[in-house]
Amino acid sequence: MIRYATYWALVVGFQVLVLNHLDISSYIYPQVFIILLISLPLHLKKTYQFLIGFGLGLIMDLFVYTPGIHMSACLWLIAIRMIILDRQDLKEHANNKLTYSIKTAGFFPFFYTTLILIIVYHFYIFWLDGIGNINLEHMLITGLSSSLLAITLIGVLQALSINKYE
Amino acid sequence: MQRLFAFIEYNFHIILFVILQIICGFLIFSLNPYQQATFSKSALNATSSINNWSSSIYNYWDLKNQNTWLQDQISKQFRESYPQSLSYMNDTFNVKDTSKRSLFDAIPAQVVFNTSYKTNNRFIINKGRNHGIKKNMGVISSQGIAGIILSSNENYSVAMSLLNTNMKIIPYINGQEYYTEIEWDNTKLNSLTINGINKLEKINVGDIVSTGNSSLLFPKGIPIGSVSKISNTSKSQYFKLEVETATNFRDLEYVFVVINREYSSLNHLLSDD
Repeated sequence: MIRYATYWALVVGFQVLVLNHLDISSYIYPQVFIILLISLPLHLKKTYQFLIGFGLGLIMDLFVYTPGIHMSACLWLIAIRMIILDRQDLKEHANNKLTYSIKTAGFFPFFYTTLILIIVYHFYIFWLDGIGNINLEHMLITGLSSSLLAITLIGVLQALSINKYE
Repeated sequence: MQRLFAFIEYNFHIILFVILQIICGFLIFSLNPYQQATFSKSALNATSSINNWSSSIYNYWDLKNQNTWLQDQISKQFRESYPQSLSYMNDTFNVKDTSKRSLFDAIPAQVVFNTSYKTNNRFIINKGRNHGIKKNMGVISSQGIAGIILSSNENYSVAMSLLNTNMKIIPYINGQEYYTEIEWDNTKLNSLTINGINKLEKINVGDIVSTGNSSLLFPKGIPIGSVSKISNTSKSQYFKLEVETATNFRDLEYVFVVINREYSSLNHLLSDD
């Protein structure tokens, strides 16, 4: 439990202290912390999943002062995750109280689930951010480049955690 | 009730999701200045559209009241616009309205029954003796002459339509009264005929035919129709004019009963003469 909490604290810290201040380009705002929601334990009740998503979104909103935007995006992420995971055969892993990861779901299911969720999440926050005056081209470039960087970083995190478990 | 609780319990996560999203929406559009401005703009557009929409609906339902109001206004204007004297048969005699009030009055009414396909068409209006309507009163629409009251009971009156072969009115065209009659020959809807106008008269298609001074039922200048066709046969020395009625009898809905306040006394004078 302490290990899990430390992992969460590290990822959140990495997001708010490093990635949020990354000044590579005006098109890159990767949101890596969502891996925490993607990889939530499979046995967790849906109600708790929504509450955790809401709470994590609240923490992110407090750090970047975007009240409600990350909270809303996290809730959608949880909802879409539920729909996708319902179509994957994960009952056994849920009974074993495992988290959702490459190890439990397999590379391809985990990859496309993560890819979908990351893209949805990034486009949703950029859409909410520019609502009413959206520059489609800017949103597309920002969304795709940020998603690409985020999935790369998540891949690295997953690889590290696999090595750790092994 | 138990099923309701079961339903809520089963779908609690969905309800929670909706509630949390509502909270998020509230936070997004109340605490983020840019989103707040966007929301205010969109909300303004939406409320304007809804207001326009509801206003259209209200206006539609209020049409009846508006119609009644307009009829009253027309009646009032009618009373004020007609002179307080009546000359009959080109100054054969002239009657002054000594009471200093309008000679003619108008009562708005609604047509509740109407025919336009018979030889002798009639229509019924929703005003009768209780409203001061009696036999031999003129009926006009907002476009022109509609008919003459034939009989009344307490609340309803029957009027002879202009599309009635018994209806005879003396036409007044281009400032001149012709001592012939405009009548309906039952050939065409909304079309009357005038025979007996000398070919020497200058009449053109489009000329307005109206009431003249020779009627006690209608004030001078109420449109009957306009000349739509002039038949000029070489054998006859008279024109045959077709007149398209000003009033559309197929769509007759709101009318005014014209009351000549001095009808009895004037008629009495005429019968003495």
